[in-house]
Amino acid sequence: MNYDEETVAMKAHMELYGVPNMRNVVASRNSPGGVEEAEKVMPLLLDALTKPLTAKEKKKGKWSPEEPRILFEGSLEEAEKIYKKTEKIPGLLNTPFATYTDGMPVVIPTEERVKAMLKGTSHKPDEMITIQRDMEIRGPGGGGPGGRGMRKKGELVVFQPMFRTATVEQVAVNAVMAGCEPEYFPLVLAMAESGAGGARGNGGGGIVSGPYYKEIGMNVSYGRFGPGNPANKTIGRVGSLLWRNLGGFKDTVTGVSVTTSYSNPMTNGGFLFAEYAEGLPKGWKGLNEELGFKKNENVYMPMQPSHFGLGQIHMPGVYRSLQRTGHGAIARYLGVKGIVGPHNYIEFLIKGVFACREGAITMVMPPQIAQDMYDYGFKSKSDIYEYIWKKSFEPIRDYRMRGTPDESTNGWMGIERTSGKHWKELSDDYMVPTNGPSADGNCIIVCDGQETCTERFGGGHGAAYSIDAWR
Amino acid sequence: MAEKVYKCLSPVGIQEAVDLVPLAPRLDTLKGKTIHLSICGELDIWAPLEKRFKGEFPEVNWTRKMGYTPQPVKLTEEERKTTDAVILGVCW
Repeated sequence: MNYDEETVAMKAHMELYGVPNMRNVVASRNSPGGVEEAEKVMPLLLDALTKPLTAKEKKKGKWSPEEPRILFEGSLEEAEKIYKKTEKIPGLLNTPFATYTDGMPVVIPTEERVKAMLKGTSHKPDEMITIQRDMEIRGPGGGGPGGRGMRKKGELVVFQPMFRTATVEQVAVNAVMAGCEPEYFPLVLAMAESGAGGARGNGGGGIVSGPYYKEIGMNVSYGRFGPGNPANKTIGRVGSLLWRNLGGFKDTVTGVSVTTSYSNPMTNGGFLFAEYAEGLPKGWKGLNEELGFKKNENVYMPMQPSHFGLGQIHMPGVYRSLQRTGHGAIARYLGVKGIVGPHNYIEFLIKGVFACREGAITMVMPPQIAQDMYDYGFKSKSDIYEYIWKKSFEPIRDYRMRGTPDESTNGWMGIERTSGKHWKELSDDYMVPTNGPSADGNCIIVCDGQETCTERFGGGHGAAYSIDAWR
Repeated sequence: MAEKVYKCLSPVGIQEAVDLVPLAPRLDTLKGKTIHLSICGELDIWAPLEKRFKGEFPEVNWTRKMGYTPQPVKLTEEERKTTDAVILGVCW
């Protein structure tokens, strides 16, 4: 039994699980109290349980759709029409939806161009995309329904939502289409290894850490998401193509309408940037080191960014005034008027940050602000993570009034992690963190910039995928 | 001069083959049977539906498992042996 808009997704799942003829009953979302709808569906459900099977429903067999390696042979002009093909998606009011692309024109992936892309890796074209090392997978923010789990080296990567797999060559085809250069390809393969922002990620986003960013010319300074830098833009874009072509697309509420009404504007066109490790204060670890790699090793950390710009905002001069002269809005807020810094800018930054959302946060900090925070007393990134996390506690009575914990606590049936007790056993006064189950879900990235504001968005630490493994 | 012919590759991944399974035999009667209600997501119409099932068919052994996400809570091996039918409902 499913709601109307989920029928296409339900049927796709039936096929994927080998029961394409499973009986399903469709219900409406709009029945007050559900009483009338229950009356309507009850006989249909009983009928589905008792009505004898048809010959079709008893059928065995195999479902094995095949996609040819060569999509088209002809001129480039003709090929452009093929790659621009669209299909109608009922859940989107039958609007045209690009079959092979993100909706924008692409570089046509001729055999020669794909061959050139494959020179960017030592991996063979027919090699399947697999996990490259034993690793722990963390859900966005280090917790939530995604939770944590182990992946084993050699495990086949299955792309959501259609449970597809892919070869190195198929990833190269997408990289060519996005306009990538062969030297970007190890990073693109690491993105594929991460699952390419499948399910409702629409390609997701990601952060690169390690000196590789210099090799391929990623912009780690101003305008990281803006126009102009080929590496940030084309590699960022390939995420959407991998999502579309490796993951497939299902017409589903969670995929297209309720939670992604605007798709994800932050990942539209690519949400990819790199860390500027040269700007880290002495003693602060780079993202690669935080995730268990060495300084000179290169990693890709996927994330599903959200809530961009959450918390306080300010003009650059307000920050300068705070730290250099003790004037301006932040100095007034912190009660340090007239006193030269360093002052605790983080205290100001997170004011109200958890008022309307929960979970880990990512902060992208210019080197000067990072240095000021070091001088203030945060001798590691972890000191800041811990500070934010401790500030996020509130009584359960308030936490219950929030919009997402119904899901993240599995209807309050799970275990509250700071106490190890069932949610329902805890008193209303018990204090719980709104910043996710642990402080290490938070994430700080230092990027070049002078007195710009620290950017904040939802997301936090995730798993690390080695770029070097795909060279 | 004839236009050059290019071979253009497909960007689509591999859909692994799936063995198709026949549906489980249907029930000849509800009497004495164990029917499992697998509730996923918000309760929504499940609340009145479960009440009506239990009220109108007391001769059925109704069992239930509930989770808040779209993924159903799985039956144990033992439960699978003793369950005659499942109604899975996703109120997402």
